[in-house]
Amino acid sequence: MRFSISTRVGAIMALALSAGIGALAAPGPAWAHAVCGDRVFPATLTMDDPGVGDELSLPTITYSPIRANNGNPSGHSLDYGAEWDKTITKDLGFALNGDYFTQRGAGQNLNGWNNITLTLKDELPCWEAHEFMASIGVIREFAKSGSAELVTAGAIDKVSNTTPTLYLGKGLGDLPIGYLRPLALTGEVGFQESDNPNTSPDQWNYAFSVQYSMPYLDQHVRALGGAAFLAHFVPLVEFVYSAPHNAATTGTISPGVLYEADVWQFGVEAMLPANAATSQTQGVGVIAQFHLFIDDIFPTTLGKPLIDKDLWEW
Amino acid sequence: MKPIALTFAAAALGAAPALVAGTHAAQAHAFLSHASPAVGSTVKESPPALELWYTEEVEPAFCKVELLDGAGKRVDHGGLKAAPGDKAELILPVPHLAPGTYKVVWHAVSVDTHRTQGDFTFTVAP
Repeated sequence: MRFSISTRVGAIMALALSAGIGALAAPGPAWAHAVCGDRVFPATLTMDDPGVGDELSLPTITYSPIRANNGNPSGHSLDYGAEWDKTITKDLGFALNGDYFTQRGAGQNLNGWNNITLTLKDELPCWEAHEFMASIGVIREFAKSGSAELVTAGAIDKVSNTTPTLYLGKGLGDLPIGYLRPLALTGEVGFQESDNPNTSPDQWNYAFSVQYSMPYLDQHVRALGGAAFLAHFVPLVEFVYSAPHNAATTGTISPGVLYEADVWQFGVEAMLPANAATSQTQGVGVIAQFHLFIDDIFPTTLGKPLIDKDLWEW
Repeated sequence: MKPIALTFAAAALGAAPALVAGTHAAQAHAFLSHASPAVGSTVKESPPALELWYTEEVEPAFCKVELLDGAGKRVDHGGLKAAPGDKAELILPVPHLAPGTYKVVWHAVSVDTHRTQGDFTFTVAP
């Protein structure tokens, strides 16, 4: 799978334009984001959720301390990210990611755009009774779509890569476990294949999350009554790892909380180094994200699928 | 930080909240806000009706609510209707309920056609 884009702005504008025109031209019902039976899988911050949807993460801000290493002093990086998720059919969607990266200290100050990534993802029929859903997708990172300054500094890949990925989500609401029924697990695993493994190695990427949905508790297990404000929170922990073929596995463990409103979500998590190899290069960071449910904000235009069908109906 | 970074950061920080603030007519998914009898509660008497309040207005014609007894047998006789003056509330008349645990199963369609579903139990214990 290979995409061709000439410039970042051109690509984003073309996709936005085509999506907007298509959405306005195709009448039909609005479609839910990652919902399977009684379960709503919220958007997670350091990994993807198991569904497709019409959503916008703007912004996602990541602060990462950089430890002194290899003779370089310590420093930190700040990343300002955005992700737009758009449904093509009810179950097929794409996601476009872009972010601006800055680094202070650590031997050099850097500013620049990261490479663009584009994800094509299909949500498989969900098993409602068991709150189980899965999706398959392909992620493509476009080398040279980012800033030359970051490429020169080795901060971003100078070789494109493609990652076929499997996404899973399972709510535990079907089990007779009382107050543990709001628990849910999500996960993803993908093999990142470089266009030139000699320059940029292939690697396995895998992640999972453990979530406790207070909305689920309030709506399905036990009403929170006077403490109803708690019904907006989803405490969770995300575990994200990358395992390159020729280097040590690194990763982060991110405990945090999501706040669910009617058409938006806010999340904040600490980012802890998951192992010694990660601790050598980075300290405890923070990630925060403001996330919009476009399908709820613009249910009859930009927030609905371009084609009002399910791939599995054809 | 370079001007372009500041511009992007400011736009990112301001655009999304501004988008939310400008969408007064937005309709979200209709999730259960609260119910009577309450989710997971125990009541001493059989309630005259089951009342469900949603987070958004719903389309009663496309909604479904059933009341099941402990054996999974449906015990209500239908008659689901919207509450007068409140498009976010559904009312289901129920017959006299003997002591026991009952399960409420609901499917809702919000006015913007989003579909949601859920279930919960309550107990009648005089």
